[in-house]
Amino acid sequence: MIDFTLSKKQKEIQEGIRSLGKFVIRPMSLSMDRNKEVPEEFLRNFMRLAKGFRSDDVVDPIEEGVAARERDPNKVSESNRTSAIAAEELAWADAAMLLSVPGPGLGGPPIRATGTREQKERFFGIFKDMHKGPLKWGAYALTEPGAGSDVAGIRTSCRKDGRDWVINGRKCYITNGARASWNVVFATVDPAAGRAGHRAFVVEKGTPGFEVGKIEDKMGLRANETAELVFEDCRVPEENLLGGEAAYVSKEGFMTAMKTFDNTRPLVGAMALGIGRAAFEYARDFVKDNYVLSRPVPRYAAIAERLAKVGRKLEAARSLVYRATYMADAGIPNAKEASMAKAAAGQAAIHACIEAIEICGAHGSLSSEHALLEKWFRDIKVYDIFEGTGNIQRVVISKRLMSGLKAF
Amino acid sequence: MISFQASEEQQLIQQSVADFAKSTLAPRVRELEKKRGVPEDIRQGAHEMGLGLMALPETCGGQGLGYVAAALVEEELGAADAGASFGLPGPASFGRAVVELGTEAQASALLSDFAADGGADRFGAVAWSEPSPCKERAGFTTVATRIEGGYALTGKKAFVLHAHVADRFLVFAQVDADKGWDGIGAFVVRKDNAGLLVGGRHDTLGLDAADFGEIQMKDAKVSEEDRLLGGEGGFTQATLRFFAKQAIVVAARAVGVARFAFEIAREHCDTRKAFGKPIGHFQAVAFALSDRHMDVESARWLVWKAAHAWDAKLPEREALLATAQAAAHALDACMRTADDCVGLHGGSGFIRDLIAEKLMRDAKQLALCCPTAEQLDQIAAAIDLGLPLDPALVLPTPETQAIFT
Repeated sequence: MIDFTLSKKQKEIQEGIRSLGKFVIRPMSLSMDRNKEVPEEFLRNFMRLAKGFRSDDVVDPIEEGVAARERDPNKVSESNRTSAIAAEELAWADAAMLLSVPGPGLGGPPIRATGTREQKERFFGIFKDMHKGPLKWGAYALTEPGAGSDVAGIRTSCRKDGRDWVINGRKCYITNGARASWNVVFATVDPAAGRAGHRAFVVEKGTPGFEVGKIEDKMGLRANETAELVFEDCRVPEENLLGGEAAYVSKEGFMTAMKTFDNTRPLVGAMALGIGRAAFEYARDFVKDNYVLSRPVPRYAAIAERLAKVGRKLEAARSLVYRATYMADAGIPNAKEASMAKAAAGQAAIHACIEAIEICGAHGSLSSEHALLEKWFRDIKVYDIFEGTGNIQRVVISKRLMSGLKAF
Repeated sequence: MISFQASEEQQLIQQSVADFAKSTLAPRVRELEKKRGVPEDIRQGAHEMGLGLMALPETCGGQGLGYVAAALVEEELGAADAGASFGLPGPASFGRAVVELGTEAQASALLSDFAADGGADRFGAVAWSEPSPCKERAGFTTVATRIEGGYALTGKKAFVLHAHVADRFLVFAQVDADKGWDGIGAFVVRKDNAGLLVGGRHDTLGLDAADFGEIQMKDAKVSEEDRLLGGEGGFTQATLRFFAKQAIVVAARAVGVARFAFEIAREHCDTRKAFGKPIGHFQAVAFALSDRHMDVESARWLVWKAAHAWDAKLPEREALLATAQAAAHALDACMRTADDCVGLHGGSGFIRDLIAEKLMRDAKQLALCCPTAEQLDQIAAAIDLGLPLDPALVLPTPETQAIFT
């Protein structure tokens, strides 16, 4: 049945995160941004709390696909929808904090999709004892100084040498890349072969020949680490080739790893909506305090209209996020819808942040007065850049709208 | 649970209306436009399917299927011929208004015969807007004066859908001049009323198959029972609910027009070649199509969400906000898509041999057939800001923008 209300479980998760966000995370937001760090103590507590928020149907990444766990086939999974709802709430509180949460991060999906059972056990296994031991992260290293949107153009090379692979090259803008216990690194056996030449490796921290380069000084999301990774004759054992040799016999093997974007893009869209909503609510409260009580309504109709437009743009984008996650949960191919969700949400949220600043007037750009608003304005721009820029999303959409369009 | 899956019943209804729209309406779009009306055989078919009665409650002869079902159906009609979607027989806005403003008994008495034989020639109408706003005070220039046993109405109304074919009108008039927009009332005026004069038909920009015109009341006497006092929450609240439901129906048609405009634009960009390849293989063109695709899809989901909010009886302010956002977005999206559809066709988009130009004209007029996007934004902002829903602020008064009803 067509329905847009959240399930009881989703409402609980939403309300739980909302109050945590309001009373715990928000008050730390500005200092985290200034110190360029999310306190480890907080992350540890958060991990403990997050256990309670876990939706029942979040699949164990190691068991998934091996049919070791019996799942009720009549019970529809809502995990993508639930994740989107949770992601929006966390980003509403602080987006950089959300990106710093320990766990496999963006490195998780390709291992889940392509990894062998042994690899899944080895790389996901390290996160199991985080409640006792140190916090751990995984990361995803694709972008290079010379290849961002054009994934097929990566130059980081790999060659087989005995039982090892030898990797040479540079990766940049890698979220949590320096602190990660392992990075999923994309390299090529032959740059001329395009995607057919690509191989994905799990490179563990401390592997000889793997060094962390500079940590980026960014416009926004400053509390989250963005690293440069350098590979100089870095030897990786063949057991760390993601999925094993068999995965690369056909081009599809690699495409599986790329398909992970279909699940993650709507979530990035949901995060953008969280920031956009935060800005919208801020501006709304500003209007309430500064206009509503002291002036007759017709005097600020234009401000009201701007506010409403921000609200409905966010709502329209949210509908696309829900649509894409609904399809993901139902197992319906959603590459186009995932890109639509990401493109619309990034744009709507940027619009929200800009409008919120303008609605608050000159005050809006002063970090002394409206520091949060100024921070969100800096944070949001990258949501139209990472995980595929707005233009790349439109390339993905276009290819699925026009017949016979392989590339521009 | 968030779900985009229509029920089996809804799918069946949607499919049968889509078939009707494709086989009966779409091939005759220009014929209806030229005739400036919907021919008898099409009206008969629509009547037999009960097209205009789906969302109305069963207690007054409707099918009680709710607004989600109505949204599915109206999108299909809009995607075939928006003009016909307004011109088809039935109670239309009159039905929606009576359900909100009247008692159950009034609604039943005023609406039951639409499902009966002869329904193919039966139309209802709402007379809200006026040719010009009242300059002396807030409120309508049309007045309802108390007389023995009822009221006498005097004044002019404009932009009335079905003005020339309707046999019953719901006329909004000023009862208490001192109270401004809080002092208006709604009265049923029948075609045989000696004081009712039907004026000229508007020559409109689009939606040619539908009849929009003026009516005039000169001491038109109505009985006490013909006044609708407004249901739950009082008169303003009920009137606002009527406009919200009107907006959902019009927005669903807008989604249909937008979908159609997108489809033919996509088709054109896929086949029209320039510089050795389909024009859709150029980024400027393909990206514009991508943006319009996002517009159409998100507009549909928001309309569904708003319709669901009413069907699921969510809190009224929540449903009103969802409706205001959905309709404003759908009307804007429809205009952008129709505009791009003409633009992407180039010169041929401007020529009447193709349908693109009609879609653009229909889209513009459609945007004036319910509270406009600007008015809807004011409603949404009022709700967001926690303001009381003051009628002068949230009703589409002639002082702000007159609309077709």
